[in-house]
Amino acid sequence: MRVVGSSPPTLEAEDKVAGRTRYLPDEVVPGMAHAKVLRSPYAHARLVFIDASPARALPGVVCVLTRDEVLADPRVGNLYGYVFRDAPLVAIDRVRYQGDIVAVVVAEDVHTAEEALELIDVEYEELPRLLDAEEAMSPGAPLIHDRMYPIASELHPIEGTNVCHRSTLETGDVERGFAEADAVFEDVYEAPPVQHCALELHAVIADVRDDAMTVRTNCQAPFPLKAELERIFKRPARVIVSYVGGGFGSKSRDRIEAVVAAASNLAKRPVRLVLTQEETFLAGYIRPAFKCWIKTGVTRDGIITARSYRFITDAGAYAITGARSANNTVKVAAGPYRIPNAFVECFAVYTNKPPSAPYRGLPTTQHTMAYETQMDRIADELGIDRVEIRKRNLLKDGDIHITGDLIRSSHVAECLDGAVAALSGPAPAGDEQTLRGRGFGCTIKYTLTPPQPSVESEAAVELGADGRFEVRAATVNIGQGSDTTMAQIAAEALGVGLEQMRVVHSDTALVPPDSSTTASRSTYHMGNAVLDAATRLRAEVLEVASGLLEEEPDALRLDGDGVRLASAPERRVALDELVAANGAPLLQYGQCEVGGEYVDEQGKRYPVASTFWTFAAAGAEVEVSRETGQITLSRVSCAVNVGRAVNPVSVHKQIEGGLGMELGPTLFERLVWDGDGQLLTSSLLDYPLPTMSTMPRYETALVEPGFPGGPYGAKGMGEVGSVVLPAAVLNAVYDATGVRFHSVPLHPEAVLRALEEAGEAANG
Amino acid sequence: MASAPLQVELTVNGAAQRLAAQPRETLLDALRERLGLTGSKSYCHSGACGACTVLLDGEAVSACSTLIGQVRGRAVTTVEGLSEDGGLHPIQQAFIDNWGFQCGYCTPGMLLLAKSLLDANPAPTDEQIVEHMSGNICRCTGYAGILESVRAAARALRSARD
Repeated sequence: MRVVGSSPPTLEAEDKVAGRTRYLPDEVVPGMAHAKVLRSPYAHARLVFIDASPARALPGVVCVLTRDEVLADPRVGNLYGYVFRDAPLVAIDRVRYQGDIVAVVVAEDVHTAEEALELIDVEYEELPRLLDAEEAMSPGAPLIHDRMYPIASELHPIEGTNVCHRSTLETGDVERGFAEADAVFEDVYEAPPVQHCALELHAVIADVRDDAMTVRTNCQAPFPLKAELERIFKRPARVIVSYVGGGFGSKSRDRIEAVVAAASNLAKRPVRLVLTQEETFLAGYIRPAFKCWIKTGVTRDGIITARSYRFITDAGAYAITGARSANNTVKVAAGPYRIPNAFVECFAVYTNKPPSAPYRGLPTTQHTMAYETQMDRIADELGIDRVEIRKRNLLKDGDIHITGDLIRSSHVAECLDGAVAALSGPAPAGDEQTLRGRGFGCTIKYTLTPPQPSVESEAAVELGADGRFEVRAATVNIGQGSDTTMAQIAAEALGVGLEQMRVVHSDTALVPPDSSTTASRSTYHMGNAVLDAATRLRAEVLEVASGLLEEEPDALRLDGDGVRLASAPERRVALDELVAANGAPLLQYGQCEVGGEYVDEQGKRYPVASTFWTFAAAGAEVEVSRETGQITLSRVSCAVNVGRAVNPVSVHKQIEGGLGMELGPTLFERLVWDGDGQLLTSSLLDYPLPTMSTMPRYETALVEPGFPGGPYGAKGMGEVGSVVLPAAVLNAVYDATGVRFHSVPLHPEAVLRALEEAGEAANG
Repeated sequence: MASAPLQVELTVNGAAQRLAAQPRETLLDALRERLGLTGSKSYCHSGACGACTVLLDGEAVSACSTLIGQVRGRAVTTVEGLSEDGGLHPIQQAFIDNWGFQCGYCTPGMLLLAKSLLDANPAPTDEQIVEHMSGNICRCTGYAGILESVRAAARALRSARD
């Protein structure tokens, strides 16, 4: 292989360093007006009265969208949501969180729109608020929604409660498994909400006409959004996504696109909205508050006999993504282990907080924190080496996962060895000021997988008049380097260099459909669709050349910028000449179908619970100040079974980025609301982010056994770098201090208090 | 609403500009909306993230927290002014070669912050790079690629000078 496996910089690298890349907040559409959103000041209230006429009278105001306008237009649906249809475009009778959308002002400029917000007359009647998911689940809790509106078939709300989704996964006999155990361990873990803080602000430019609509947005799922807009507005929609300045899940699904479209429909001109940073914190989307209860039975040799695991995530006021995000981790919540008897129970619960979203690996990170820190406790209490106990239980190829899926490319033990080896050298010793320790953990991650066979990604590759190839792929280029990955796969299949490739991405009018740029799915799914299209195109190119050169296609070779006769390379036709002779560009489509069953060599059938599982391990080396409780992450390691890296340096950098990002929620990031449901941490002054000064040394390693079915053996890995970090850090902190923490972030005050308590207990 | 416009003369990327701006207008708004220089980005709008970092008479400042009236008669450099003779500046090349970005949104600010360091200190230690560059936020890279890019840029600029 020439192109796959090499590490060219991204195709857009020069434009990005030159400041030429245009992100959505940089775009201007002729004739556009500017929107601002009136947001609820209350966490939960009845919308008694709203009168926008004083705002409409302000010079420069184009229109104001309130419930009256939405309800008056028969062509506009008033509920948004293609996973859970529960979010009104603007509040109809209630607001359900501080930041909920009450009205939208459209004006000639942003300042006028802002000024007009203050002229809207609104009367609220406060309602009891629920800010904690457990409290919201309790019997008799007031209901946040009058009824449930699930769309996705896998979601199961409990009517008459605030539980918008409950699901379970069971294998074996858990009670028997616990009875067979020599020891049973029970722990509870918690993690607070955090925000993704993608630096490019969420933005939309909508242009809604009577017969069609165009929506420019920086979302991660243009095709599902297109379908949802068409349902709400009953006219064809085009969704255009340019380069996106980070998302990490926060841009996976957002009702704001529909809201701005409704405003454009009313204004009868293009309307632009760019959220402020404060709005992205207030309005959502956020990583949800999380709590879990884990109970594990083991033999005295450390073999897991049973595990029961129950977790609750706070979906927020609308289950736009939160319920499905939680459900998507049920399959991996018990960990990368052979567990003969397992029971997993998942709850997603409405509260009066912002809607939640996936955050770089959904709650897989929090599950890993739970099962991997408990695994260290089990090892220590049984007197078994912490790496050894994992190896006795880790899933190997040929094992059956708790879903019934046949594990086909695990190598997770190799990942663990890699993560441990990367932090090799003598274990760092503590001293009078500083405690030092190391910790490790492993994980398994799921990717979106339909229950029945289904085409989830399509692509096209075209040979154009200039003799270059154009890849058309809907994968959103969000910084992960997807254009380059797709170009490398196509170039490899065609037998040409990367300089022969260009990529058109994520404009629903120009590229074939794809489900989303989420769940580490693009390299596998879109990569396979591109590979399929490029393979077909290569055959077509050789076929056309065969006619021109009067030779059999088998005797020809597509190489560089032409097709040659393999036995006499001077007999060639250049690609641009080939297109000219053909009279039209050559175009082929490809697709990736996933889901259904896997049939092994003996004909035995297994359900494909995840198209691929991503296995990884990570390690952390920490320093804990005895005086201040401050934790410094000095080194981190991470080894991932990536199948095969299409662009190895890019893959290493993706892992580094995940580790660097998760450092924040592990050590200091946390969104805090007061008792009235008012967000106290809405600016970077109250919510510091990791900087270069908190950066650890990264040691990353790739395990590359090749994954059958992946394009050139590749599978997804975009999110897994971050997933093990909190577990590894908590284990390292125990290693350093002898204190087991059951929550993040590890704020210095909490650490200091725990150290003091541990010291008193030891002395007392 | 509109107050009396402020007449502001300044130099942007070497070219003289005369703007009639609103007094509350920031340098960032003027660059992006009046001059079409959208390379400078906005996130926090409070001077905390550094996405809007530009050079003002060679010093790195947050354009979102600089009022247009404060830049009268001064020289502003944005990412669009960093390229030399149509080619990339060595700092830009170093960021490509060392994977100093992913999504690229913080990159213009990072490049100018790095330039302000290397103009003043051609041979910074790692500690000096980390201290200086910690003013700007990147959410994608975990910063290792940025540190390596600044080290490499310092080497490239020194060898070009020798």
